[in-house]
Amino acid sequence: MNIKHIHLLILFITAVLSGCKKEDNTAVANRAVVVAYLMPGQAPSVKIYQQKAFDDTSSYGALVSGLNLTLSNGSDSVSLQETATGTYTYSDASYIQTGKTYGLTFSYNNETVTATTTVPVKTTGFTASTTTILVPANDDFPNLGTADSVAVVYRWNNPDSLYHVLVFKNDELYPYILNGGRGNAPANFTINGKQEAGYELYYRTLNYKGTYKVILFTVNKEYNDVLSSNANTSSQQLTNPPGNISNGYGIFTAMQADTIELTVNQ
Amino acid sequence: MKQILLLVTIFYALATTVVYGQQNTKDKLKKTKIDHFFTCSLDQFIDTIASRLDITIVYERDSLSRMDVNEHFFNESMQAVLKQVCNENDLQYWIENDGTVYILQQPDDLPRLQQLYKLQQTARNFTPKRIPEAKHAPKHFMFALTGRVTDQKTGEALPGATVKVRGTGLAGQTNTSGNFTILNIPSDTSVVEVTFVGYQPDYFRLDSGSVKRPVSFGLFPAMNNTISEVSITGRKKGVLNTDSRKVSVLQLTPAALNKLPNIGERDIMRAFQLMPGVSATNESSSGAYVRGGTPDQNLVTFDGFTVYQVDHLYGFFSAFNSNAVRDVELYKGGYSAKYGGRLSSVTEIRGKDGNKKEANIGGDLSLLSTNIYAETPIGENSSALVAFRRSYQGPLYDKIFGQFNTSTANNGPGGSGGPTGAAGGGMGGGPGGFANQTTPSSYFYDLNTKYNYAINGSNNISWSFYNGADKLDNSREMTLPSFQTSSGGSLNINDYTHYGNTGSSLKWTTSAGKLFGSTVASYSGFFSDRNRGTTGTITDSNTTTTINNGILEKNKLRDFSLKSDWEWQIASPLKIDFGGFATKQSIDYTYIQNDTTTLIDEHNSGTTAGGFVELEIDPNEKLHIQPGFRTTYFSPTGKLYYEPRLSLTYKLTDRITLKGATGRYYQFTSKVTREDVAGGDRNFWVLANDQNIPVGKADHFIGGIGYETNNWLFDVEGYYKKLSGLTEYSIRQQGGGMGMGGPFGGGTTTTTLTQNFYNGSGYAKGLEFLLQKKAGMYTGWLSYTLAEAKNKFENYGADYFPANQDIAYEFKAVNMYHWQRWSFAATFIFSTGHPYTAPVGTYTINTLDGNKINYLSVSAKNGERLPAYHRLDLSATYDLLRTDGSKKGSLGFSFFNAYNHVNTWYNEYYISNNQVITTVVKYLGFTPNITLSLNLN
Repeated sequence: MNIKHIHLLILFITAVLSGCKKEDNTAVANRAVVVAYLMPGQAPSVKIYQQKAFDDTSSYGALVSGLNLTLSNGSDSVSLQETATGTYTYSDASYIQTGKTYGLTFSYNNETVTATTTVPVKTTGFTASTTTILVPANDDFPNLGTADSVAVVYRWNNPDSLYHVLVFKNDELYPYILNGGRGNAPANFTINGKQEAGYELYYRTLNYKGTYKVILFTVNKEYNDVLSSNANTSSQQLTNPPGNISNGYGIFTAMQADTIELTVNQ
Repeated sequence: MKQILLLVTIFYALATTVVYGQQNTKDKLKKTKIDHFFTCSLDQFIDTIASRLDITIVYERDSLSRMDVNEHFFNESMQAVLKQVCNENDLQYWIENDGTVYILQQPDDLPRLQQLYKLQQTARNFTPKRIPEAKHAPKHFMFALTGRVTDQKTGEALPGATVKVRGTGLAGQTNTSGNFTILNIPSDTSVVEVTFVGYQPDYFRLDSGSVKRPVSFGLFPAMNNTISEVSITGRKKGVLNTDSRKVSVLQLTPAALNKLPNIGERDIMRAFQLMPGVSATNESSSGAYVRGGTPDQNLVTFDGFTVYQVDHLYGFFSAFNSNAVRDVELYKGGYSAKYGGRLSSVTEIRGKDGNKKEANIGGDLSLLSTNIYAETPIGENSSALVAFRRSYQGPLYDKIFGQFNTSTANNGPGGSGGPTGAAGGGMGGGPGGFANQTTPSSYFYDLNTKYNYAINGSNNISWSFYNGADKLDNSREMTLPSFQTSSGGSLNINDYTHYGNTGSSLKWTTSAGKLFGSTVASYSGFFSDRNRGTTGTITDSNTTTTINNGILEKNKLRDFSLKSDWEWQIASPLKIDFGGFATKQSIDYTYIQNDTTTLIDEHNSGTTAGGFVELEIDPNEKLHIQPGFRTTYFSPTGKLYYEPRLSLTYKLTDRITLKGATGRYYQFTSKVTREDVAGGDRNFWVLANDQNIPVGKADHFIGGIGYETNNWLFDVEGYYKKLSGLTEYSIRQQGGGMGMGGPFGGGTTTTTLTQNFYNGSGYAKGLEFLLQKKAGMYTGWLSYTLAEAKNKFENYGADYFPANQDIAYEFKAVNMYHWQRWSFAATFIFSTGHPYTAPVGTYTINTLDGNKINYLSVSAKNGERLPAYHRLDLSATYDLLRTDGSKKGSLGFSFFNAYNHVNTWYNEYYISNNQVITTVVKYLGFTPNITLSLNLN
């Protein structure tokens, strides 16, 4: 009987303890989110956001104003100016140069946030097998047929196995969906070129008509990492998202770009 | 009384056993015919029988004098007459191994009548002759006695039985095959005492034949309901015998498992979870989490072959049919050099040989499954057993299946808010996967067969075969609920999972004097196939999308092994165990998308081979030292691995034993749990290699003290394990767009998977307390474990973090009360929640193409704790007894999670409409079950 009393006692204690516990996720987590893409010949610009609470339905967290950001290229450091709320820039477009390593430092919530990135060498020899394609009108996407054949072959030189992404930007104001295309796919998208020297674009990848800017970005590993998501979302497997910001989240990376146009008709 | 001592023939030495009083009484009852008209009170009738047959019948005169016999028996056997009379008066008779017959009104009368009988003897100053006189003057002195202890009724070997030479300090314990060797027996007229839990102790007089060939001692089972001793014990009750020689060992005999609460099936692995050091809170795994280890760090062997898939139905049931299992041992750590290849623990399961005395058929029927077995002797020397079980689509199966495929979503801030819908989406569910669960057609089955052949007294061959599989058809139509008014849709999901094991072993045991050997050739195969396809439409933001994709995933493992273990009793204080082993393993793993694109395609194979030697030294009666050494060659790394082991026990007093063990352990094959890509298979086996999967290594340090009396056992053990070469597996996904983040904007339809193996190290430490009441009407134990298991993976940072299986403390209370034909049990488990990683915030960044990716920022790795786990299980079992007191079967009622506490399994998070949706996946709630077990003999 004594043992049963112990059970009851434990049960009671548990009930009391668990009754008191309450999770609170309405607060905003305290680390900042940094987004910065540096490109040679462009004035550097860094955006700082807050994170969002779980039930916040807005797309982005609130921008953070009034910070002192320092950008350095190894030899000299510059202070960034807040040109719009939460957007910090440096006016010299020649500050970002190929091959140099840049460091970002600022203080937020009593923590020093830092990040570094190196500007990669620009990739040469970016070519396309064609710049105009015709998607057969009666082709029933996404069934087999044209969808599974190669539409365009892109090539570039990559002797050092650098990371690349191909970004397809649809230039149309109102992109017109292809017959059989996936309606909820965004008109603009990215293909991971990985560390290869080319990419074969399939018809099935395209969902909209019009002119695309096909931009080959030479990127760093940190950008490639940010694009790779951890597919699991269970509490048993959650891990911190990829990023190269210490004491913060987001991405601070440099890249080079080269562009070819592609016209898609049907 | 005529006793036949060691009635052995030259060829059938092992097959024959000492025939004692019980058989004698039985024979008399059977052979004596009666032709008489009785009209008298029952006590007079019994007195008549007793004097006529010259047997002792013990009963309560008061009660029986009030019963009458009015019957004319025409040339009927005494046995039939006794049975009929008992039946008519609602009585039972029970024959003890000394030949005494007890007439019982209730099963619990037996101990009282035995006491009464003893008192009568004392009063009359009479001692019955229990032990036969020596047949001859002693002829042989100081010789070695080898033999075997078996169940008199079935002929099954009894491992762990104690054999003691009366009047000396000489004692031995039967090994896993029921064999024993004792050296320096003073004379061939010595008396040997044999005892084993659940059996009536017995005494045997040796004779000159005992010197020449192995002897065989048969024990009679104790009356079923008088087994009030708990059958799961730390086999360390060192008062009488040598079983305190082992450190961190748990032993279990499935026969009494029906006294414990169950969900659908008596489960050997679940029973171990009630003991200290084995975690009880993983409802989704029958595998043993031993002392901060994971199930794959626990070596599971069945009749000598390694079992790679130890459970059924998402881990809810173990793969082992308790009707086919004779006994199980779990070594929680510091185990002998005989075992290797795992970091944490060893579970050795030995199947029944099959009844060697008479054919028997039996089975269990529960709300979950049907379980039938048949066993029979074949000719003089062999026996066979077949056991089969299969689950059916009953309410219990549906409930468990549903539990592992259904969850409840809470919208908004985690923890609060009511359920907004039933969810699913396959194992663990793809993020955002909501399902209307249709009744799936799934089942599991397993088959055990065993054939045993005694070539002669010294050689035995047995063949064991196991085949079991789960076929899970989780195909369903999925209707997406509308979180926003503009979204929704329906999908048809084909989802077939098929996994299982096939294992077989051929075992040869031989004893030649002081040498005992066991050689096993075995095959073990594991497969896991998953075929999942999705077709349908999804509407999001008023745009409808057609979906058509599928994955095909296969993991296949084959293991061919040969091993040979030998025991050599060189001298009384010295025994050598030695042996060799070789295993060839091959593992295939493929992951195919949309039937064409092979994303992962791995084929690995490796050979492990080596040997071990171990000494068992007893310099005096108090000390037992067991140093051992094991070495293994592993072909994928091309290296030799050395594993020194040491364990020792010291009897401080008759009641107090000190123990300690240490050793090094390597693991070459591990099971990695995969992050869940689109609800795929959860885990698979990999071989260590030179590159990304290191060979696991553990060092164990164990110390403890045990205090034991006849009724009580108090045991404390502390352990520390240092681990390195741990591997965690993760798949990173690009494309596909299902996950949060949905990188590349879902614009591409091709998915790229990257495999990552993260390597790290860790430690586990803990203290285990066990207080057990071993005998009486009320039995049971309290177990408390204080533990810590932490890992360090460079990938997650420089600090130690709690391992997934880390439980700070766990309290378990097992209470069993026996009353006549009823057995009641209540088990209560209370434990700290499992650690988990929680999201703390969310953020969005724009990529170079202008699209957005959502991310969850998370707490420290495993920095949070799920709510405490607690659960009360209740059961009541009613024994069905025959008139002769033997057990016909039982009817069991079981209530799992009696007060329906909601225990959390894990949380799932995904982002919808910029908000984080938390899904709480729960463990099983209140689940009742009824089991009916019957057997023919």
